[in-house]
Amino acid sequence: MKITFFRSKCIGCNYCVEAWPERWQMSKRDGKCVLIGGKKKGQVYRADVGEYERKYNQRAAEACPVDIIRID
Amino acid sequence: METRYPEIMAPAGSWASLRAALQGGADSIYFGIEQLNMRARASNNFTLEDLPEIASLTKEQGVKTYLTLNTVLYDHDLPLMRRIVDGAKEAGITAIIAADQSAISYAYKQDVEVHISTQANISNIEMVEFYSHFADVMVLARELSLGQVQNIVEGIEERQIIGPSGELVEIEVFAHGALCMAVSGKCYLSLHAYNSSANRGACKQNCRHSYRVTSDDGNELEIDNEYIMSPKDLCTIDFLDQLLGAGIQVLKLEGRGRSPEYVKTVTRCYREAARAVVNDEYTPEKVDRWIQDLRDVYNRGFWNGYYLGQRLGEWSKVHGSAAEKEKTFIGKVLHYYPKAEVAHVRIKTKELSLDDDILIIGKKTGVAEPNIKSIWVDDQPVEKTVQGQECTLKIDAEVREGDKVYLWEDRDQ
Repeated sequence: MKITFFRSKCIGCNYCVEAWPERWQMSKRDGKCVLIGGKKKGQVYRADVGEYERKYNQRAAEACPVDIIRID
Repeated sequence: METRYPEIMAPAGSWASLRAALQGGADSIYFGIEQLNMRARASNNFTLEDLPEIASLTKEQGVKTYLTLNTVLYDHDLPLMRRIVDGAKEAGITAIIAADQSAISYAYKQDVEVHISTQANISNIEMVEFYSHFADVMVLARELSLGQVQNIVEGIEERQIIGPSGELVEIEVFAHGALCMAVSGKCYLSLHAYNSSANRGACKQNCRHSYRVTSDDGNELEIDNEYIMSPKDLCTIDFLDQLLGAGIQVLKLEGRGRSPEYVKTVTRCYREAARAVVNDEYTPEKVDRWIQDLRDVYNRGFWNGYYLGQRLGEWSKVHGSAAEKEKTFIGKVLHYYPKAEVAHVRIKTKELSLDDDILIIGKKTGVAEPNIKSIWVDDQPVEKTVQGQECTLKIDAEVREGDKVYLWEDRDQ
């Protein structure tokens, strides 16, 4: 499964971290979220992760108040 | 002795609004950067890198700058909060506006002037005394009546409450703009409904929607107004003499989420009104004219807030704006010839006719508000120009390539 993360729009609410801390953490540098293992491509970060993570990342995406996490 | 006018503090949610605030005659502007401000959802927030340009642009005009850092802060926000305060200090921003004690404390330690935000909900003289250890200016709670405001102002004088600058603490109040049904920045509606915290600047404004009340067995309760949580906009221009008479030094205008023409109009009206009050030229006729101008731009209808002692809010009748004028995009500026004062414009939609009022809005232009006296197409004077045509217009305000052009006309009521 693929995760796409539009980081610049992050408001640092921490909900994705609450949902799945294995994949999401807060940056101490700028207070925005970090997609662990994500690679930057243009304006977005992408990560290919195991299918077993789908439901957790889905929860993170659903919890995100600014809709910047996409799960494919 | 030089006459001292109250400070008019205007919102700047974008570069165009910032310029519009300056054009309207603001004495100070307030703005947010990054995600730690009450408009975090906005797509056009300024960034740390913008601070020097904001500072230099406003200093040229003798306008003060206040950086809003007034959201609820979590542990992971603290490093960014410190970077923002440091950046504000380095750029020469006048002060930060804060409510969270971590931001207040850090700014104070860094010798950065602090203003206490309305989010702190200061409602009595002891609170003023407490915050005076850190701040020279404080915004009072919105629920106070004029009498309560006056008591606090007089209390500052009586008790000689001074801020870090050694001067008496100054009191700031909201004079115009949106009011929440909750204490601003202390609301969980949006968090409950959308997981989107208003207290972090991510308000989804579900209080502004219409609601129906339905019982368990499906019966719908009839209520006069479905907008049961959406107050009208605060407007104090018709009793500004009383507000200033209470000893207010700073009039804050709400509207970082609103358009540049709103910012320019509201700033101009309150600047004119405040000066009229001080100069003893404040008349009912002028008040009527200002109110009409304020009705032209975005509003949810007006009420006096809690200043005059209403017990209940007056609720909006509509979702969105009750403005009496509206702007419609019609084209873009391709070039401006300053010596000839002529703009070359491409009409992309609708049409433009002689005697139309238009707005031209841009990052460096702010808001120009010309009336069209002549239109030229292919070197020929014409009475109107239509979609797809390029034309030249006599515009006596400097506009720029890329600026957007709007028709500015009465709204169908």
